[in-house]
Amino acid sequence: MDANTDRIGVVPVGAVHEMAPKVVAAHISGYLSLQAESLAPVQLPLHTFNGNRLQYDAGLLLREIESIPFDEHGKIIAIVDVDLFLPIFTHVFGEARQGGKAALVSLYRLGKHGSGLRFESALVFERAAKIALHELGHLYDLLHCDNARCLMHFSGGLDELDRTSFSYCRYCATCMRACLKTRGLKRK
Amino acid sequence: MGDKMSIMIVDDEMIIRESFLHWFQKSGHHVATAASGQEALEKLDIFPFDLLFVDIKMPGMDGIQLLERVKSEFPDTIVVIITAYGSIESAVQAMKLGAADYLLKPFKPDQLSLAMEKVAQQKKLVSEYRYLKGRLDNITRFDNIIGQSAPMEEIFALIPQVAASDAPVLLTGETGTGKELIAKAIHAKSPRSRFPYIAINCGAMPDSLLESELFGHQKGAFTGAIQGRKGFLEVVAGGTLFLDEVGEISTRMQVDLLRVLEEKKIIRLGSSQTIDVNFRLIAATSRNLEEQIAAGVFREDFYYRINVVRIDIPPLRKRKDDIPLLVEHFLTKFSNETTKRVDRVTRQAEHFLKNYDWPGNVRELENAIERAVVLSGSRTLHEKDFRFLSPASMEAQPGRSLLEMEKRHIRQVLDECGWNVTQAAKLLNINRVTLHKKINRYQLTRKSM
Repeated sequence: MDANTDRIGVVPVGAVHEMAPKVVAAHISGYLSLQAESLAPVQLPLHTFNGNRLQYDAGLLLREIESIPFDEHGKIIAIVDVDLFLPIFTHVFGEARQGGKAALVSLYRLGKHGSGLRFESALVFERAAKIALHELGHLYDLLHCDNARCLMHFSGGLDELDRTSFSYCRYCATCMRACLKTRGLKRK
Repeated sequence: MGDKMSIMIVDDEMIIRESFLHWFQKSGHHVATAASGQEALEKLDIFPFDLLFVDIKMPGMDGIQLLERVKSEFPDTIVVIITAYGSIESAVQAMKLGAADYLLKPFKPDQLSLAMEKVAQQKKLVSEYRYLKGRLDNITRFDNIIGQSAPMEEIFALIPQVAASDAPVLLTGETGTGKELIAKAIHAKSPRSRFPYIAINCGAMPDSLLESELFGHQKGAFTGAIQGRKGFLEVVAGGTLFLDEVGEISTRMQVDLLRVLEEKKIIRLGSSQTIDVNFRLIAATSRNLEEQIAAGVFREDFYYRINVVRIDIPPLRKRKDDIPLLVEHFLTKFSNETTKRVDRVTRQAEHFLKNYDWPGNVRELENAIERAVVLSGSRTLHEKDFRFLSPASMEAQPGRSLLEMEKRHIRQVLDECGWNVTQAAKLLNINRVTLHKKINRYQLTRKSM
């Protein structure tokens, strides 16, 4: 295995608050003890915008990100501030394929309250970090978890996301450790 | 999430199929896809999927047609319909045809989670229902009735024929011959088996209580009727009502029941409103109803109404060839219940059991085996283990009063148990304190043996 594949790259795609990738990278380092670093921004591929839905196609965008050669990093977390959708869903907060190379995290709906007010940036970044850790779990082959407090629990709304703690349950944590060990990844 | 399911996505749009596929893979479900209804049916033939997500609008066989086929050919498969806003009416139609839920595309992610929770709950309920029904079938199964003798073979041949009809059945036979088992078997084999089976022992309750139990009552119908209650004739709704010891019913109640059987309507006590009822009646008696009619205590018209099909169950003494089979059956049953391995009887013991008259019939044999298994110290039951069945020892004793009989019986049981009060109390079916009181009252001691 490449010596550099234990590093996680957090890349802003398009116009994204500069703090967002740094906070996400810090959380990955802190909670998973893996090397994570914020990377230089890349351009948002505009053809992933769907004119009918007025949203960005998460599947298409993910494929675009995966096609970028991030050779220095084993896994990539791409942060966007646009509204993402999947053909069956009205929206998604993030997207990743099981065992894939890259995952998406969208800040777009994390800061908007139903009343029209905006949430504080700290809360938005915290939510983004939870989604990043959840999607990273999928990249390491973890499945959705029944435990509502576990990071791998599927959160359909912000309330549910806020109820999730900043840790994997014992079962998911064991799976994650086993997966990292199998891949020969070094934890800090 | 929860139990992993096998799911098939049926949609002609590849992008929708892939979206679902990736989504469900993240939850660890086994997922397959089909681009048409025909392909879905072919895959269902090979693998019994738990859940289908079916798009309503598809070329060729549409979602509704597929739903109908799935519900008739694979009733265990749960179907969730996916539809667009334009085809909401079809979604309503789908729900009527048995779809578990429907989702309007595109849906919020948590709507899919909710639908999955609902489906998982439904699947769990179906599994529980199947398990419990299996248990019930086991309890009421036909082969619970043991016998290979000619009279029993005749009854076995009769049960499926009788079960297929809806005619009232009269079961006659001495107490303990297994009338209720036959009634349960008829119910289990009948088209009414999906509905309740309710058994009432008419001899065990006074007339007024029986009336209230059968017909139900309105609130305030009588003192103590603080709330309205449905009677068994209503509760049985489509099932089978078994009236045991029907010979004990008063003539007034016979008139009421005759009316119900003829009109299939009842009126709750204290009410004036008629309620339609639907049930099959199986009655049983150990009495000679013809003699009761002659004596004027049983109504002839009611007798003819319940005696459409009659099954006479022979007493055990007239089918002694069945005794070894029954003994084996009860040995297995009680060995399992008591976790004591007692699975044999000696030839002498079998001979003894076959020569005994069994006035209490199969029930007496069952109790005798249970008692012998409980008290046995070995794997094999001997003739001495059944000595308590011999009436000679009882007749030789002086004094025939109830107290004398009780005293003697308690002493005999205590002797058999080596004066283990707990074991004796269990056999006598009384608690230890009561047994101690009786030992003191009758001044029973080991010396009095």
